[in-house]
Amino acid sequence: MERKITVAGHSISHTDIVRICVIISLTLSCIFITSISLTRHVETIYAQLFYFPILYAAYFYQRRGLFLAGFCAVIYEVLAYINIFPDTTGMIYTTSQAILFICIAAVVAYFTEKINSSETRFRSIFEKSLLGIVLFDQNTFAIRMANDPFASMLGYSRQELGTMTFARFFHTKEEQRRFFEFLGSSEDVIHFETAFISKSERPVWVNLSWSRIDENLVSCSVIDITQRRLAEQAAVENHQHYEQVTEHAPTGIVIIRDNRIVYTNPIFRAFTGYDADELYGMEIRLLVHPDDQSQFPAFMEVLDSQPSLPDRLVLRFRTKTGDTRLGTLFFTWITRMGSPAILVNLVDVTEHERLKETMLLDNERRRGTMNTVAHELRAPLQPLIGNINLLLQNPETYGVTEKIKEILAQCSLSVDREQQIIDQMLELSVLDAGKVPLKYISFDLPALLQSVIDDGDYASRADLAVTVPAGLTFEADANRISVVLDAMLTNAVNLAKPPRKIRISYTSAPEDTMHRLAIQDNGTGISSAKLDEIFNQSPGNGNAGQSERIGMSLSIAKKYVQMHGGFISVDSTLNIGSTFTIHIPKHPQNAEIKP
Amino acid sequence: MKQTILIVEDDQPNLDVMEMLIRKLGYEPVLISNGLEALEYVNKNPPSLILLDIMMTPIDGWVFLERFRNNAAMKNIPVIIFSAAPEVEERMTHIRDPCLGVLHKPVSLNELKDAILRFLPKP
Repeated sequence: MERKITVAGHSISHTDIVRICVIISLTLSCIFITSISLTRHVETIYAQLFYFPILYAAYFYQRRGLFLAGFCAVIYEVLAYINIFPDTTGMIYTTSQAILFICIAAVVAYFTEKINSSETRFRSIFEKSLLGIVLFDQNTFAIRMANDPFASMLGYSRQELGTMTFARFFHTKEEQRRFFEFLGSSEDVIHFETAFISKSERPVWVNLSWSRIDENLVSCSVIDITQRRLAEQAAVENHQHYEQVTEHAPTGIVIIRDNRIVYTNPIFRAFTGYDADELYGMEIRLLVHPDDQSQFPAFMEVLDSQPSLPDRLVLRFRTKTGDTRLGTLFFTWITRMGSPAILVNLVDVTEHERLKETMLLDNERRRGTMNTVAHELRAPLQPLIGNINLLLQNPETYGVTEKIKEILAQCSLSVDREQQIIDQMLELSVLDAGKVPLKYISFDLPALLQSVIDDGDYASRADLAVTVPAGLTFEADANRISVVLDAMLTNAVNLAKPPRKIRISYTSAPEDTMHRLAIQDNGTGISSAKLDEIFNQSPGNGNAGQSERIGMSLSIAKKYVQMHGGFISVDSTLNIGSTFTIHIPKHPQNAEIKP
Repeated sequence: MKQTILIVEDDQPNLDVMEMLIRKLGYEPVLISNGLEALEYVNKNPPSLILLDIMMTPIDGWVFLERFRNNAAMKNIPVIIFSAAPEVEERMTHIRDPCLGVLHKPVSLNELKDAILRFLPKP
């Protein structure tokens, strides 16, 4: 650090003091020598001597140098006047010399100041630049100067860089060779991207721009582009990953830009029957069936504004072979290669739709068949029931004895059972077709339960214990729930061992979302292997008889509960008994509830 | 004078037993096995109530009902659809007719009686 002293309030460095002393002594010497020279008429020496202090002062202190030049000119002129006057030629000569002092001082001061100013600017740029700047020799590559950003970019200190060559920073020999080629072209180069290696052996991606300052010296600006390169690399990796995903996607994928196809995956190509080259650049609209083209979104043509996309579209497509296939399309905006594009995900629903249509047709056909079968099965029962009723209600008229009445009563029971089986068969077929709407009402469950118990005479068939809160209200289809309860009670009576005990209890807590009504019997229980079967009985599935009828009624009960959004659970222990629990939502969704 | 009940049914054994049941309940049965003939009959002799089968030819019960109700004079004559076809219930959910009832075959005498008493006073 430069030392300074303070004189009359001004801080002056030691260097300046020395310089001032030199200037003063030179000036005084010049005055003395010139004075003697003029006195003794030694003409060849006196004028040039003043150039020493003037040039010296003008170089270091430009403005003060001018003052010194003026002072020297005046002194010289005074000395000349004293010694030469009235020699006119001599006076003109000395005056010219005095003016020359000032002119030379002015020229030196001007150029010195200009040089100093350029150097200050260069220093300022060099030191304060956020870019790395390095000056190196283009023959030896020795680093002459490097600023802090360049040093920190590579993890070295500026002192360390001063002993290194620029060529050693290249990450690979190949990169170094490429740099030599560009440098050897003797042109100034901008945006030369390469990889350096840092002090910690970490690759640093840089953008170099260089120009020659003189024959040997090259000034090079260095921008760290590692982050950008990493981002680009990640983008490329993402893109490769994306391509891998789309290539192996189970659904069709097509990317559209400006209404034209720019990418298709194998599934989409298989769907359309075209290969990738045929599809590339094709207007996607041309693949759509002519009858559906009007539905195809117009947004495909206005990509710039990125309008909102439809959730999905179901369109028919015309394949290469002329077949018609059905696809569900899902649209998403994406950025591909830096530009907006639309990714269309296509799910081939051709087979699914065909299957659905076939199933609908089958269902309709089945319903029609069931309708006819039901009619043909039920209709003959009417004369049977009618005639039995007539005979039983007018025994005297038709000469019916007590014995015949018993036989007729048994016939009536058989007809009832037959009717019950036919009704259950029909109900199941209708439920399977899914065409039964629920009629939601708010009703009192204990009252409904009691009416089911009374109608089925369950109190006389088993020891019933009912624990259901008074005033408990259900929001459901009361008729269907009554069928469910009847089926569950019939099932419990049939499963229970004499003396039959059936416990009906409501087990739901107020915060629960489901009502839970448990029907517990003291039967032999159901093995886990049979648990799945009991709800899946259908006509002809299992042994004909009572168990089949119960199975059908349980199947119907299960479907009714499922239609309400609930389910039936079974907890059974062999030789202890079973508990069937009905779970019904307390607040049905999307249901119009009538009081 | 007894209230007349028109039974439109194309199955003869059913017609026979229904005739006896209606008579047993104290009403006067009229039996017609063809929907078109029944339409002609009701124009001249409006009955107190109609028991109507659905699956018939040449016109089924629904067609009969539509044409019958198109006649303003027949708007308030009660009709009980009396059918073994399960589609009836679903069709009925779309019909708003206060003078229309349903009975699913087979029915007992008591069920028949209750259904008729809904519309007609005791004979």
